[in-house]
Amino acid sequence: MKKVFACLLVLALFAGVCFADEAKLKGIDQLKTERLAAQRGTVGQFLAEDLLGDKKGELLTTFEKYVDAIASLRQGKVRAVVMDEMPAKRFVNEVEGLVIMDEALSEENYAIGFKKGNTELVESVNKILAEMKADGTLAAIFAKYIDGDYSAVKPEDIDFNKGAEGGKFYVGTEAGFAPYELRVGSGYIGIDVEMCAYIAKKLGKELVILNMNFDALPTAVSTGKVDMICAGITVTDERKENMDFSDNYVVGAKQVAVVRADDYEK
Amino acid sequence: MITRNKRSGAGRGDILLGIVGVYLVYLLYASGFFTAAAWQDFNRRFYQNFIKDDRYMMLVDGLKSTVFMTSGATVIGVIVGLILSVIRVAYKGGVHIPVLNKFAETYITVLRGTPAMVQLLIWNFTIFASARDLNTQYIAILAFGLNSGAYVAEIFRGGIESIDPGQMEAARSLGLTYGSSMRHVILPQALRNVVPMLFNEFIALLKETSIAGYIGIDDLTRAGQNIQALTLEHSQPLVMVAIIYLIIVLFLTHLVRKLEEWLSRGRR
Repeated sequence: MKKVFACLLVLALFAGVCFADEAKLKGIDQLKTERLAAQRGTVGQFLAEDLLGDKKGELLTTFEKYVDAIASLRQGKVRAVVMDEMPAKRFVNEVEGLVIMDEALSEENYAIGFKKGNTELVESVNKILAEMKADGTLAAIFAKYIDGDYSAVKPEDIDFNKGAEGGKFYVGTEAGFAPYELRVGSGYIGIDVEMCAYIAKKLGKELVILNMNFDALPTAVSTGKVDMICAGITVTDERKENMDFSDNYVVGAKQVAVVRADDYEK
Repeated sequence: MITRNKRSGAGRGDILLGIVGVYLVYLLYASGFFTAAAWQDFNRRFYQNFIKDDRYMMLVDGLKSTVFMTSGATVIGVIVGLILSVIRVAYKGGVHIPVLNKFAETYITVLRGTPAMVQLLIWNFTIFASARDLNTQYIAILAFGLNSGAYVAEIFRGGIESIDPGQMEAARSLGLTYGSSMRHVILPQALRNVVPMLFNEFIALLKETSIAGYIGIDDLTRAGQNIQALTLEHSQPLVMVAIIYLIIVLFLTHLVRKLEEWLSRGRR
Protein backbone atom coordinates (compact mmCIF):
# COMPACT_ATOMS: atom_id res chain seq x y z
CA MET A 1 0.00 0.00 0.00
CA LYS A 2 2.75 2.41 0.93
CA LYS A 3 4.57 1.66 -2.33
CA VAL A 4 1.43 2.59 -4.26
CA PHE A 5 1.29 5.90 -2.42
CA ALA A 6 4.95 6.54 -3.08
CA CYS A 7 4.44 5.93 -6.80
CA LEU A 8 1.36 8.16 -6.86
CA LEU A 9 3.27 10.94 -5.10
CA VAL A 10 6.08 10.81 -7.62
CA LEU A 11 3.60 10.73 -10.52
CA ALA A 12 1.75 13.72 -9.09
CA LEU A 13 5.02 15.63 -8.76
CA PHE A 14 5.91 14.92 -12.39
CA ALA A 15 2.43 15.84 -13.60
CA GLY A 16 2.87 19.25 -11.96
CA VAL A 17 5.53 20.27 -14.51
CA CYS A 18 3.36 19.74 -17.56
CA PHE A 19 1.21 22.64 -18.73
CA ALA A 20 -1.06 22.59 -21.74
CA ASP A 21 -0.64 25.32 -24.37
CA GLU A 22 -3.37 27.95 -24.47
CA ALA A 23 -4.35 30.60 -27.01
CA LYS A 24 -2.77 34.01 -26.32
CA LEU A 25 -4.65 36.78 -24.54
CA LYS A 26 -5.78 39.73 -26.64
CA GLY A 27 -8.05 41.94 -24.57
CA ILE A 28 -9.72 42.50 -21.22
CA ASP A 29 -12.91 40.69 -22.32
CA GLN A 30 -11.02 37.42 -22.62
CA LEU A 31 -10.18 37.51 -18.91
CA LYS A 32 -13.81 36.70 -18.09
CA THR A 33 -13.13 33.00 -18.42
CA GLU A 34 -9.52 32.88 -17.23
CA ARG A 35 -7.83 32.14 -13.92
CA LEU A 36 -7.11 35.50 -12.26
CA ALA A 37 -5.28 36.62 -9.12
CA ALA A 38 -5.59 39.71 -6.93
CA GLN A 39 -4.53 40.96 -3.52
CA ARG A 40 -7.11 40.15 -0.86
CA GLY A 41 -9.46 42.99 0.05
CA THR A 42 -8.27 45.30 -2.74
CA VAL A 43 -10.28 46.86 -5.53
CA GLY A 44 -8.37 44.54 -7.86
CA GLN A 45 -10.20 41.66 -6.20
CA PHE A 46 -13.61 43.35 -6.58
CA LEU A 47 -12.94 44.09 -10.24
CA ALA A 48 -11.82 40.53 -10.92
CA GLU A 49 -14.97 39.27 -9.18
CA ASP A 50 -17.15 41.49 -11.38
CA LEU A 51 -15.28 40.29 -14.45
CA LEU A 52 -15.67 36.60 -13.62
CA GLY A 53 -19.26 36.77 -12.34
CA ASP A 54 -20.51 33.32 -11.25
CA LYS A 55 -17.19 31.69 -11.99
CA LYS A 56 -15.24 33.72 -9.43
CA GLY A 57 -15.24 30.91 -6.88
CA GLU A 58 -13.55 28.65 -9.34
CA LEU A 59 -11.23 31.03 -11.18
CA LEU A 60 -10.17 33.76 -8.75
CA THR A 61 -7.27 33.31 -6.35
CA THR A 62 -6.62 36.02 -3.76
CA PHE A 63 -3.28 36.54 -2.01
CA GLU A 64 -2.13 38.50 1.04
CA LYS A 65 0.86 39.90 -0.87
CA TYR A 66 1.32 41.13 -4.42
CA VAL A 67 4.60 39.25 -4.67
CA ASP A 68 2.72 35.96 -4.23
CA ALA A 69 0.20 36.87 -6.94
CA ILE A 70 3.01 37.81 -9.33
CA ALA A 71 4.85 34.57 -8.53
CA SER A 72 1.81 32.47 -9.42
CA LEU A 73 1.42 34.46 -12.64
CA ARG A 74 5.02 33.70 -13.60
CA GLN A 75 4.51 30.03 -12.79
CA GLY A 76 1.45 29.91 -15.03
CA LYS A 77 -1.00 29.15 -12.22
CA VAL A 78 -3.03 32.23 -13.15
CA ARG A 79 -3.14 34.13 -16.44
CA ALA A 80 -3.49 37.68 -15.13
CA VAL A 81 -3.16 39.71 -11.93
CA VAL A 82 -5.58 42.61 -11.45
CA MET A 83 -3.92 45.47 -9.58
CA ASP A 84 -3.17 49.20 -9.39
CA GLU A 85 -1.14 50.67 -12.22
CA MET A 86 1.70 52.27 -10.22
CA PRO A 87 2.82 49.12 -8.37
CA ALA A 88 2.15 47.13 -11.56
CA LYS A 89 4.64 49.35 -13.42
CA ARG A 90 7.29 48.56 -10.85
CA PHE A 91 6.68 44.81 -11.23
CA VAL A 92 6.87 45.03 -15.02
CA ASN A 93 10.09 47.08 -14.85
CA GLU A 94 11.87 44.81 -12.43
CA VAL A 95 10.53 41.36 -13.28
CA GLU A 96 11.37 40.03 -16.71
CA GLY A 97 8.66 38.71 -18.99
CA LEU A 98 5.67 40.65 -17.63
CA VAL A 99 3.57 43.30 -19.37
CA ILE A 100 0.55 45.43 -18.53
CA MET A 101 -2.45 45.01 -20.84
CA ASP A 102 -3.11 48.20 -22.82
CA GLU A 103 -6.70 48.57 -21.80
CA ALA A 104 -7.33 49.57 -18.15
CA LEU A 105 -10.15 47.94 -16.19
CA SER A 106 -11.23 51.09 -14.39
CA GLU A 107 -10.02 54.33 -12.84
CA GLU A 108 -10.16 54.89 -9.10
CA ASN A 109 -9.56 57.60 -6.54
CA TYR A 110 -7.47 57.14 -3.41
CA ALA A 111 -8.29 58.62 -0.03
CA ILE A 112 -7.40 58.18 3.62
CA GLY A 113 -9.79 56.03 5.68
CA PHE A 114 -11.13 56.87 9.16
CA LYS A 115 -13.37 55.30 11.75
CA LYS A 116 -17.03 55.94 10.92
CA GLY A 117 -18.14 59.13 12.69
CA ASN A 118 -14.65 60.50 13.42
CA THR A 119 -15.66 63.74 11.67
CA GLU A 120 -13.36 65.98 13.67
CA LEU A 121 -10.19 64.21 12.50
CA VAL A 122 -11.49 63.89 8.92
CA GLU A 123 -12.03 67.64 8.79
CA SER A 124 -8.63 68.56 10.17
CA VAL A 125 -6.89 66.09 7.80
CA ASN A 126 -8.91 67.46 4.87
CA LYS A 127 -7.75 70.96 5.76
CA ILE A 128 -4.11 69.84 5.81
CA LEU A 129 -4.57 67.95 2.51
CA ALA A 130 -6.04 71.08 0.89
CA GLU A 131 -3.01 73.10 2.10
CA MET A 132 -0.63 70.44 0.76
CA LYS A 133 -2.34 70.55 -2.62
CA ALA A 134 -2.34 74.36 -2.70
CA ASP A 135 1.30 74.96 -1.73
CA GLY A 136 2.70 72.15 -3.88
CA THR A 137 3.87 69.92 -1.01
CA LEU A 138 1.85 66.97 -2.28
CA ALA A 139 3.05 67.44 -5.85
CA ALA A 140 6.65 67.55 -4.60
CA ILE A 141 6.17 64.24 -2.77
CA PHE A 142 4.69 62.61 -5.88
CA ALA A 143 7.53 63.97 -8.02
CA LYS A 144 10.06 62.11 -5.85
CA TYR A 145 8.50 58.75 -6.67
CA ILE A 146 6.81 59.08 -10.01
CA ASP A 147 9.69 57.95 -12.26
CA GLY A 148 9.85 54.54 -10.59
CA ASP A 149 13.38 54.95 -9.20
CA TYR A 150 13.40 55.90 -5.55
CA SER A 151 16.52 54.17 -4.35
CA ALA A 152 17.75 57.62 -3.32
CA VAL A 153 14.92 58.04 -0.81
CA LYS A 154 16.05 56.94 2.65
CA PRO A 155 13.66 56.16 5.51
CA GLU A 156 15.73 58.23 7.95
CA ASP A 157 15.16 61.34 5.81
CA ILE A 158 11.43 61.27 6.48
CA ASP A 159 10.56 63.29 9.59
CA PHE A 160 8.26 61.28 11.84
CA ASN A 161 8.24 64.14 14.36
CA LYS A 162 9.67 61.90 17.10
CA GLY A 163 8.91 62.89 20.67
CA ALA A 164 6.18 65.37 19.70
CA GLU A 165 4.24 66.81 22.60
CA GLY A 166 0.84 66.03 21.09
CA GLY A 167 1.38 62.29 21.59
CA LYS A 168 1.37 59.55 19.00
CA PHE A 169 -0.56 59.38 15.77
CA TYR A 170 -1.15 55.82 14.59
CA VAL A 171 -1.50 55.07 10.90
CA GLY A 172 -2.22 51.61 9.50
CA THR A 173 -0.78 50.56 6.15
CA GLU A 174 0.38 47.58 4.09
CA ALA A 175 3.98 48.28 3.20
CA GLY A 176 4.24 46.17 0.06
CA PHE A 177 2.66 48.72 -2.26
CA ALA A 178 5.44 50.74 -3.81
CA PRO A 179 5.59 53.63 -4.57
CA TYR A 180 2.91 54.43 -1.99
CA GLU A 181 4.44 52.50 0.92
CA LEU A 182 7.39 50.22 1.22
CA ARG A 183 9.35 48.79 4.13
CA VAL A 184 13.05 49.51 3.80
CA GLY A 185 15.29 48.13 6.53
CA SER A 186 13.61 49.07 9.78
CA GLY A 187 11.84 52.11 8.33
CA TYR A 188 9.32 53.07 5.70
CA ILE A 189 9.33 55.12 2.53
CA GLY A 190 6.61 56.03 0.02
CA ILE A 191 4.15 58.69 -1.06
CA ASP A 192 1.60 57.77 1.63
CA VAL A 193 4.29 57.61 4.31
CA GLU A 194 5.63 61.08 3.52
CA MET A 195 2.11 62.47 3.28
CA CYS A 196 1.16 60.98 6.66
CA ALA A 197 4.40 62.25 8.22
CA TYR A 198 3.49 65.75 7.04
CA ILE A 199 -0.08 65.43 8.36
CA ALA A 200 1.16 64.14 11.74
CA LYS A 201 3.58 67.04 12.00
CA LYS A 202 0.81 69.54 11.25
CA LEU A 203 -1.30 67.90 13.95
CA GLY A 204 1.63 68.24 16.35
CA LYS A 205 1.94 64.50 16.83
CA GLU A 206 4.50 61.74 16.29
CA LEU A 207 3.75 59.42 13.38
CA VAL A 208 3.70 55.71 14.25
CA ILE A 209 3.17 53.31 11.35
CA LEU A 210 1.60 49.90 11.90
CA ASN A 211 2.35 47.60 9.01
CA MET A 212 -0.41 44.98 8.63
CA ASN A 213 -2.15 42.97 5.95
CA PHE A 214 -4.39 45.00 3.67
CA ASP A 215 -7.56 43.11 4.60
CA ALA A 216 -6.93 43.82 8.30
CA LEU A 217 -6.85 47.60 7.79
CA PRO A 218 -10.64 48.28 7.98
CA THR A 219 -10.80 46.28 11.24
CA ALA A 220 -7.83 48.17 12.65
CA VAL A 221 -9.36 51.58 12.02
CA SER A 222 -12.88 50.69 13.14
CA THR A 223 -11.68 49.14 16.41
CA GLY A 224 -9.52 52.20 17.09
CA LYS A 225 -6.18 50.39 16.80
CA VAL A 226 -5.09 53.15 14.46
CA ASP A 227 -6.26 56.74 13.93
CA MET A 228 -6.40 56.43 10.18
CA ILE A 229 -5.46 54.04 7.40
CA CYS A 230 -3.46 55.19 4.41
CA ALA A 231 -2.48 52.52 1.91
CA GLY A 232 -3.55 53.67 -1.54
CA ILE A 233 -7.12 52.88 -0.51
CA THR A 234 -9.68 53.24 -3.27
CA VAL A 235 -12.91 54.99 -2.35
CA THR A 236 -15.89 52.67 -3.03
CA ASP A 237 -19.54 53.00 -2.03
CA GLU A 238 -19.36 49.77 -0.07
CA ARG A 239 -16.35 50.94 1.92
CA LYS A 240 -18.07 54.28 2.57
CA GLU A 241 -20.75 52.39 4.50
CA ASN A 242 -18.16 51.14 6.99
CA MET A 243 -15.68 53.98 7.21
CA ASP A 244 -15.30 57.67 6.51
CA PHE A 245 -12.92 58.96 3.86
CA SER A 246 -10.86 62.12 3.50
CA ASP A 247 -10.86 64.07 0.23
CA ASN A 248 -9.13 62.23 -2.61
CA TYR A 249 -5.38 62.66 -2.85
CA VAL A 250 -5.03 60.57 -6.02
CA VAL A 251 -7.53 60.92 -8.83
CA GLY A 252 -7.82 58.49 -11.74
CA ALA A 253 -5.46 55.73 -10.60
CA LYS A 254 -5.86 53.01 -13.19
CA GLN A 255 -6.63 49.40 -12.36
CA VAL A 256 -4.82 47.17 -14.85
CA ALA A 257 -4.19 43.53 -15.65
CA VAL A 258 -0.60 42.25 -15.54
CA VAL A 259 0.06 39.28 -17.84
CA ARG A 260 3.04 37.29 -19.13
CA ALA A 261 4.60 38.91 -22.20
CA ASP A 262 4.67 35.60 -24.10
CA ASP A 263 0.99 35.11 -23.34
CA TYR A 264 -0.17 38.46 -24.70
CA GLU A 265 -0.84 39.60 -28.25
CA LYS A 266 -1.69 43.25 -28.76
CA MET B 1 26.13 4.58 26.18
CA ILE B 2 22.48 4.44 25.31
CA THR B 3 21.74 2.39 22.22
CA ARG B 4 18.86 3.67 20.15
CA ASN B 5 16.38 1.47 18.42
CA LYS B 6 17.98 1.55 15.00
CA ARG B 7 16.85 -0.50 12.03
CA SER B 8 19.60 -1.89 9.86
CA GLY B 9 19.56 -1.00 6.16
CA ALA B 10 17.32 1.47 4.37
CA GLY B 11 13.64 1.61 5.29
CA ARG B 12 10.77 2.56 3.01
CA GLY B 13 10.98 6.13 4.23
CA ASP B 14 14.63 6.36 3.12
CA ILE B 15 13.76 5.06 -0.36
CA LEU B 16 10.94 7.60 -0.72
CA LEU B 17 13.24 10.35 0.50
CA GLY B 18 15.81 9.24 -2.07
CA ILE B 19 13.28 9.37 -4.89
CA VAL B 20 12.11 12.84 -3.90
CA GLY B 21 15.73 13.99 -3.58
CA VAL B 22 16.67 12.68 -7.02
CA TYR B 23 13.54 14.32 -8.44
CA LEU B 24 14.43 17.69 -6.90
CA VAL B 25 17.97 17.52 -8.26
CA TYR B 26 16.51 16.61 -11.67
CA LEU B 27 14.19 19.64 -11.47
CA LEU B 28 17.15 21.91 -10.67
CA TYR B 29 19.10 20.37 -13.56
CA ALA B 30 16.16 20.73 -15.96
CA SER B 31 15.73 24.38 -15.05
CA GLY B 32 19.37 25.06 -15.90
CA PHE B 33 20.44 25.55 -12.32
CA PHE B 34 23.89 24.08 -12.78
CA THR B 35 25.05 26.37 -15.59
CA ALA B 36 27.47 29.25 -15.04
CA ALA B 37 24.89 31.84 -16.11
CA ALA B 38 22.42 30.49 -13.57
CA TRP B 39 25.02 30.77 -10.83
CA GLN B 40 25.78 34.33 -11.78
CA ASP B 41 22.08 35.09 -11.71
CA PHE B 42 21.76 33.34 -8.37
CA ASN B 43 24.62 35.40 -6.94
CA ARG B 44 23.19 38.63 -8.31
CA ARG B 45 19.82 37.92 -6.73
CA PHE B 46 21.49 36.84 -3.49
CA TYR B 47 23.32 40.17 -3.41
CA GLN B 48 20.05 42.04 -4.05
CA ASN B 49 18.08 40.14 -1.43
CA PHE B 50 20.52 40.03 1.44
CA ILE B 51 23.67 42.09 0.97
CA LYS B 52 22.56 45.33 -0.70
CA ASP B 53 21.69 48.11 1.78
CA ASP B 54 22.34 45.59 4.59
CA ARG B 55 19.04 43.87 3.92
CA TYR B 56 20.11 40.84 5.97
CA MET B 57 19.59 43.11 8.97
CA MET B 58 15.85 42.88 8.30
CA LEU B 59 16.14 39.12 8.84
CA VAL B 60 18.29 39.64 11.94
CA ASP B 61 15.73 42.06 13.42
CA GLY B 62 12.95 39.63 12.48
CA LEU B 63 14.81 36.78 14.17
CA LYS B 64 15.23 38.89 17.32
CA SER B 65 11.49 39.49 17.36
CA THR B 66 10.71 35.79 16.81
CA VAL B 67 13.07 34.74 19.61
CA PHE B 68 11.71 37.44 21.93
CA MET B 69 8.11 36.38 21.35
CA THR B 70 8.92 32.68 21.70
CA SER B 71 10.80 33.12 24.97
CA GLY B 72 8.14 35.39 26.45
CA ALA B 73 5.37 33.02 25.45
CA THR B 74 7.37 30.09 26.85
CA VAL B 75 7.54 31.68 30.30
CA ILE B 76 3.80 32.46 30.32
CA GLY B 77 3.03 29.01 28.92
CA VAL B 78 4.93 27.16 31.65
CA ILE B 79 3.40 29.21 34.47
CA VAL B 80 -0.16 28.97 33.14
CA GLY B 81 0.25 25.30 32.24
CA LEU B 82 1.63 24.40 35.66
CA ILE B 83 -1.19 26.15 37.51
CA LEU B 84 -3.88 24.62 35.29
CA SER B 85 -2.50 21.10 35.53
CA VAL B 86 -2.20 21.27 39.32
CA ILE B 87 -5.83 22.43 39.55
CA ARG B 88 -6.95 19.56 37.36
CA VAL B 89 -4.89 16.92 39.15
CA ALA B 90 -5.80 18.21 42.61
CA TYR B 91 -9.47 17.96 41.76
CA LYS B 92 -9.04 14.28 40.96
CA GLY B 93 -6.78 13.80 44.00
CA GLY B 94 -9.37 14.92 46.50
CA VAL B 95 -8.91 18.71 46.74
CA HIS B 96 -12.32 19.69 45.35
CA ILE B 97 -12.66 23.27 44.17
CA PRO B 98 -15.30 22.82 41.43
CA VAL B 99 -15.17 26.44 40.19
CA LEU B 100 -11.43 26.31 39.57
CA ASN B 101 -11.61 22.87 37.98
CA LYS B 102 -14.43 23.93 35.67
CA PHE B 103 -12.45 27.05 34.73
CA ALA B 104 -9.33 25.01 33.93
CA GLU B 105 -11.35 22.52 31.91
CA THR B 106 -13.08 25.23 29.88
CA TYR B 107 -9.82 27.11 29.37
CA ILE B 108 -8.06 24.05 27.98
CA THR B 109 -11.03 23.10 25.78
CA VAL B 110 -11.45 26.56 24.27
CA LEU B 111 -7.77 27.39 23.74
CA ARG B 112 -6.95 23.97 22.31
CA GLY B 113 -10.12 23.86 20.26
CA THR B 114 -9.55 27.08 18.30
CA PRO B 115 -6.71 27.96 15.90
CA ALA B 116 -3.87 30.05 17.35
CA MET B 117 -4.23 32.38 14.37
CA VAL B 118 -7.86 33.19 15.23
CA GLN B 119 -6.94 33.68 18.89
CA LEU B 120 -4.15 36.07 17.94
CA LEU B 121 -6.51 38.18 15.83
CA ILE B 122 -9.12 38.26 18.60
CA TRP B 123 -6.53 39.31 21.20
CA ASN B 124 -5.23 42.10 19.01
CA PHE B 125 -8.37 43.46 17.38
CA THR B 126 -11.06 42.73 19.96
CA ILE B 127 -9.70 42.37 23.48
CA PHE B 128 -6.81 44.82 23.17
CA ALA B 129 -8.52 47.01 20.58
CA SER B 130 -8.00 50.21 22.55
CA ALA B 131 -4.54 49.41 23.93
CA ARG B 132 -2.65 51.38 21.32
CA ASP B 133 0.49 52.37 23.17
CA LEU B 134 1.09 48.75 24.14
CA ASN B 135 3.78 47.18 21.96
CA THR B 136 2.03 44.67 19.69
CA GLN B 137 4.72 42.13 20.53
CA TYR B 138 3.44 41.96 24.10
CA ILE B 139 -0.05 41.18 22.85
CA ALA B 140 1.43 38.41 20.71
CA ILE B 141 3.40 37.06 23.68
CA LEU B 142 0.23 36.97 25.75
CA ALA B 143 -1.77 35.29 22.98
CA PHE B 144 0.89 32.68 22.21
CA GLY B 145 1.69 32.17 25.91
CA LEU B 146 -1.91 31.58 26.97
CA ASN B 147 -2.45 29.31 23.98
CA SER B 148 0.67 27.34 24.75
CA GLY B 149 -0.38 27.16 28.42
CA ALA B 150 -3.34 24.97 27.46
CA TYR B 151 -1.07 22.47 25.72
CA VAL B 152 1.53 22.61 28.48
CA ALA B 153 -1.21 21.92 31.04
CA GLU B 154 -2.01 18.64 29.34
CA ILE B 155 1.68 17.75 29.12
CA PHE B 156 2.12 18.40 32.86
CA ARG B 157 -1.05 16.51 33.71
CA GLY B 158 0.23 13.50 31.77
CA GLY B 159 3.55 13.79 33.62
CA ILE B 160 1.94 14.03 37.06
CA GLU B 161 -0.41 11.15 36.36
CA SER B 162 2.51 9.01 35.20
CA ILE B 163 3.90 9.07 38.77
CA ASP B 164 2.90 6.00 40.73
CA PRO B 165 -0.03 6.79 43.11
CA GLY B 166 1.98 4.98 45.80
CA GLN B 167 4.32 7.98 45.95
CA MET B 168 1.49 10.27 46.97
CA GLU B 169 0.14 7.72 49.44
CA ALA B 170 3.58 7.31 51.00
CA ALA B 171 4.09 11.07 51.29
CA ARG B 172 0.66 11.57 52.83
CA SER B 173 1.19 8.72 55.30
CA LEU B 174 4.41 10.47 56.43
CA GLY B 175 2.21 13.36 57.48
CA LEU B 176 2.78 15.75 54.57
CA THR B 177 -0.22 17.75 53.41
CA TYR B 178 -1.57 17.24 49.88
CA GLY B 179 0.06 20.51 48.80
CA SER B 180 3.52 19.77 50.09
CA SER B 181 3.44 16.16 48.86
CA MET B 182 2.64 17.59 45.46
CA ARG B 183 5.35 20.23 45.64
CA HIS B 184 8.15 18.21 47.17
CA VAL B 185 7.48 14.66 46.02
CA ILE B 186 5.32 14.45 42.89
CA LEU B 187 6.24 17.58 40.87
CA PRO B 188 10.05 17.11 40.94
CA GLN B 189 9.63 13.63 39.49
CA ALA B 190 6.93 14.70 37.04
CA LEU B 191 9.01 17.61 35.76
CA ARG B 192 11.85 15.25 34.90
CA ASN B 193 9.44 13.20 32.80
CA VAL B 194 7.91 16.09 30.94
CA VAL B 195 10.98 18.22 30.13
CA PRO B 196 11.56 16.64 26.68
CA MET B 197 7.88 17.03 25.77
CA LEU B 198 7.92 20.63 27.00
CA PHE B 199 10.87 21.39 24.78
CA ASN B 200 9.04 19.96 21.79
CA GLU B 201 6.08 22.19 22.61
CA PHE B 202 8.35 25.22 22.53
CA ILE B 203 9.91 24.18 19.26
CA ALA B 204 6.34 24.06 17.89
CA LEU B 205 5.69 27.46 19.46
CA LEU B 206 8.73 28.94 17.72
CA LYS B 207 7.30 27.92 14.38
CA GLU B 208 3.81 29.07 15.35
CA THR B 209 4.98 32.66 15.93
CA SER B 210 5.34 32.90 12.14
CA ILE B 211 1.70 34.06 12.03
CA ALA B 212 2.53 37.20 14.04
CA GLY B 213 2.82 39.16 10.79
CA TYR B 214 -0.97 39.19 10.67
CA ILE B 215 -1.09 41.70 13.51
CA GLY B 216 1.74 43.77 12.11
CA ILE B 217 4.79 42.32 13.84
CA ASP B 218 7.90 42.05 11.70
CA ASP B 219 8.95 38.60 12.83
CA LEU B 220 11.32 36.38 10.84
CA THR B 221 8.66 35.24 8.35
CA ARG B 222 7.38 38.76 7.86
CA ALA B 223 10.94 40.04 7.42
CA GLY B 224 11.28 37.61 4.51
CA GLN B 225 8.05 38.94 3.04
CA ASN B 226 9.28 42.51 3.48
CA ILE B 227 12.42 41.64 1.50
CA GLN B 228 10.18 40.06 -1.15
CA ALA B 229 8.23 43.31 -1.44
CA LEU B 230 11.50 45.24 -1.80
CA THR B 231 13.21 43.05 -4.38
CA LEU B 232 10.14 41.44 -5.99
CA GLU B 233 12.00 38.15 -5.74
CA HIS B 234 9.91 35.28 -4.52
CA SER B 235 11.99 32.24 -3.70
CA GLN B 236 15.28 33.28 -2.12
CA PRO B 237 13.97 35.26 0.87
CA LEU B 238 11.51 32.51 1.77
CA VAL B 239 14.05 29.72 1.41
CA MET B 240 16.48 31.70 3.55
CA VAL B 241 13.80 32.18 6.22
CA ALA B 242 13.10 28.43 6.13
CA ILE B 243 16.80 27.64 6.53
CA ILE B 244 17.08 29.96 9.55
CA TYR B 245 14.06 28.34 11.21
CA LEU B 246 15.46 24.89 10.48
CA ILE B 247 18.87 25.72 11.97
CA ILE B 248 17.25 26.96 15.20
CA VAL B 249 14.94 23.95 15.41
CA LEU B 250 17.81 21.51 14.78
CA PHE B 251 19.86 23.24 17.48
CA LEU B 252 16.97 23.06 19.97
CA THR B 253 16.30 19.42 19.08
CA HIS B 254 19.97 18.69 19.74
CA LEU B 255 19.62 20.38 23.13
CA VAL B 256 16.55 18.27 23.98
CA ARG B 257 18.47 15.11 23.18
CA LYS B 258 21.39 16.15 25.38
CA LEU B 259 18.94 17.07 28.12
CA GLU B 260 17.19 13.72 27.83
CA GLU B 261 20.50 11.90 28.20
CA TRP B 262 21.42 14.07 31.16
CA LEU B 263 18.07 13.48 32.85
CA SER B 264 18.13 9.72 32.39
CA ARG B 265 21.66 9.61 33.83
CA GLY B 266 21.76 7.71 37.10
CA ARG B 267 18.21 6.51 36.80
CA ARG B 268 19.15 2.91 36.91
